[in-house]
Amino acid sequence: MTFRILGAVVLLAAGASVAQAQQLAPSPTLDAVKARGNLECGVHLGLPGFSFANDKGEWSGLDVDYCKALAAAVLGDANKVKYTPTSVQQRWPILQSGQVDVLSRNSTITFSRNATLGLNFQGINFYEGQTFIVRKSAGVKDAAGLDGASVCVAAGSTEEKNAADWFRERNLKVTITNFQKNDDAIAAYDAGRCDAYTAGVGALAGQRAKLKNPDDHVILTQPISNDPQGPVTRWGDERWQLIVRWVLNGTIAAEMLGVTSKNVDEMKANSKNTEVRRLLGAEGGFGAMMGLSNDWMYNAIKQVGNYGESYERNVGMGSSLKLERGQNQLWTKGGLLFTPPFQ
Amino acid sequence: MNRSSSLSLWRERLFGTPFTGFVSVVLFVLIAWIAIPLIRWAVIDATWVGSTRADCVPGGACWVFIRARFGQFMYGLYPVDQRWRVDIAGIAFVLGIASVILAPQRLKLKLGLVMLVILPPLGIWLLSGGFGLRYVETREWGGLTLTLFISIYSSLIAIPLGILFALGRQSELRIIRLISVIFIEFWRGVPIIAVIFLASLLLPLILPGGIGIDRLARAVIGLGFVIAAYMAEAVRGGLQALPRGQREAATALGLNYWKATGLIVLPQALRISLPAMTNEFIALIKNTTLVLVVSILDLLGIAQASLADPNWVGMNMEAYAFSGAIYWLICFALSRWSRSLEKRRRL
Repeated sequence: MTFRILGAVVLLAAGASVAQAQQLAPSPTLDAVKARGNLECGVHLGLPGFSFANDKGEWSGLDVDYCKALAAAVLGDANKVKYTPTSVQQRWPILQSGQVDVLSRNSTITFSRNATLGLNFQGINFYEGQTFIVRKSAGVKDAAGLDGASVCVAAGSTEEKNAADWFRERNLKVTITNFQKNDDAIAAYDAGRCDAYTAGVGALAGQRAKLKNPDDHVILTQPISNDPQGPVTRWGDERWQLIVRWVLNGTIAAEMLGVTSKNVDEMKANSKNTEVRRLLGAEGGFGAMMGLSNDWMYNAIKQVGNYGESYERNVGMGSSLKLERGQNQLWTKGGLLFTPPFQ
Repeated sequence: MNRSSSLSLWRERLFGTPFTGFVSVVLFVLIAWIAIPLIRWAVIDATWVGSTRADCVPGGACWVFIRARFGQFMYGLYPVDQRWRVDIAGIAFVLGIASVILAPQRLKLKLGLVMLVILPPLGIWLLSGGFGLRYVETREWGGLTLTLFISIYSSLIAIPLGILFALGRQSELRIIRLISVIFIEFWRGVPIIAVIFLASLLLPLILPGGIGIDRLARAVIGLGFVIAAYMAEAVRGGLQALPRGQREAATALGLNYWKATGLIVLPQALRISLPAMTNEFIALIKNTTLVLVVSILDLLGIAQASLADPNWVGMNMEAYAFSGAIYWLICFALSRWSRSLEKRRRL
């Protein structure tokens, strides 16, 4: 008997706490964004394909597109973003001091940054990693295929050490040719003094465009290091972190589910797939759970597009960088891109 | 001097002895060795017309890039339909300064003071807006506009402050002397880049969230303080070069401290320190490029940022050559102007 009463009390208490969780946690950042009427986004000063101002002075790029998607989800308008270009030195302080709401600036996620800077990384929008650029004619498919080849690098760089270690561990005979500067090394590669040049995937895409005949070169998609990058927020304000995280997830889920900026209206009206319907706000009330309107992801996809569209437009085949998807392909298609389900 | 004698003078100077002749030949070869490829790249092999990167001939400069981006190099990301405001501000400054230079001697000081009161607020109003003009945030300012803005407004802080502290350092009141020495030595001892960092990164962390001093204003004030310290030392040089008798004579005539300083001491001292002050000002213009570390897009910043456009990737040489040429033009014009000023004053 007593146990039954006790059980009822526990159940009641549990029910009450669930009801409490249903209420929205306060989110000063979201309130501020709504009051301001625009999103403050910290971006890179200039990185080809990721963040740059074009001839007309409009910001674009993969990292910039994330800011736009977030603004569309929160404010319903992808253009309501104010960009703060940030240098390497000021990116963390500018976020910590509250001058930006979110930082979307190809910053590598590491343990020590997460643990000591008071920052949280909210997912991965680009799997960066060190890789190689080789001539198409060489027929090299991956880094292991460079056995017997020579690689141009800048002396004393992280890339030099990484590459040397990687080849040594695998007993591959690769000649590493040192140059004083990165520019010298890439020029030497372009002049045919080495078979390969090494840098991060994103950087190589920009470098390739500078070569004499960019189309003669191919960037190996399998990197030898792991430097995932994504949007960053301050500690605190859990609900804002939730929004930042799930907008990124939403753009990936949209690609996964085949929702694009072109078919989003039709999908919202006709799709039988419950996950699509939840994502686009046709059922489930997912936006409201975070204090947003239910068409949050509908707006983001409609105005900015899904992850794949953004990738192709900015760094992929639709851009002058012509970077293959590689690791940034969906996990179902051999890449690493992944999102938890919208359930 | 007629033509042939000037020619023979040059021949005398360059080839007077076998040794000078040898040195001249070596130098000529060296200059040609550097200049010929440079001219080939910048002029002969360069592409001037077109609209995209594809129009450019490899091997020569692609000035098409500068044409496409010219607006950004001048105005940064300032809204295109509002750029006329920057133009008007620029014209107002040029006309204002020209009117002071051309005014008759007796009106110069008065007109100068009037311009000093009118022009700076007018410039800020035109650029940032309010009172009927659309508001344009400082983050959208950039390019040459911003370089000139930072230079002019920093020196508006630096010159009066510098003169004040130079006088303070000579003061007979110990406390004023102490304050001046501390100010000068502190700001002279801190690297400019550190000041910009502190102003841009540390201040917002220390100040409570609500108090947001504009990022550009922080950089301008920081730069102004550093240059003020250098200016103070330049002016002190002028003050010390002045014979003591000048002030003593002024006092003997019954002038009080401020009158003696304003009418007798400073006009002479400033004339003496003009070259040193010009040096500081030229250094200031070049130091404005340091604001790049806090992502304020001045001329050099916008040049660097424009290199990230995938459509124009690899235009490093053109971007730096163009912005370098503009910096050189400004600094060279300034140094000529100060030279002519010195000559006119017969220094």
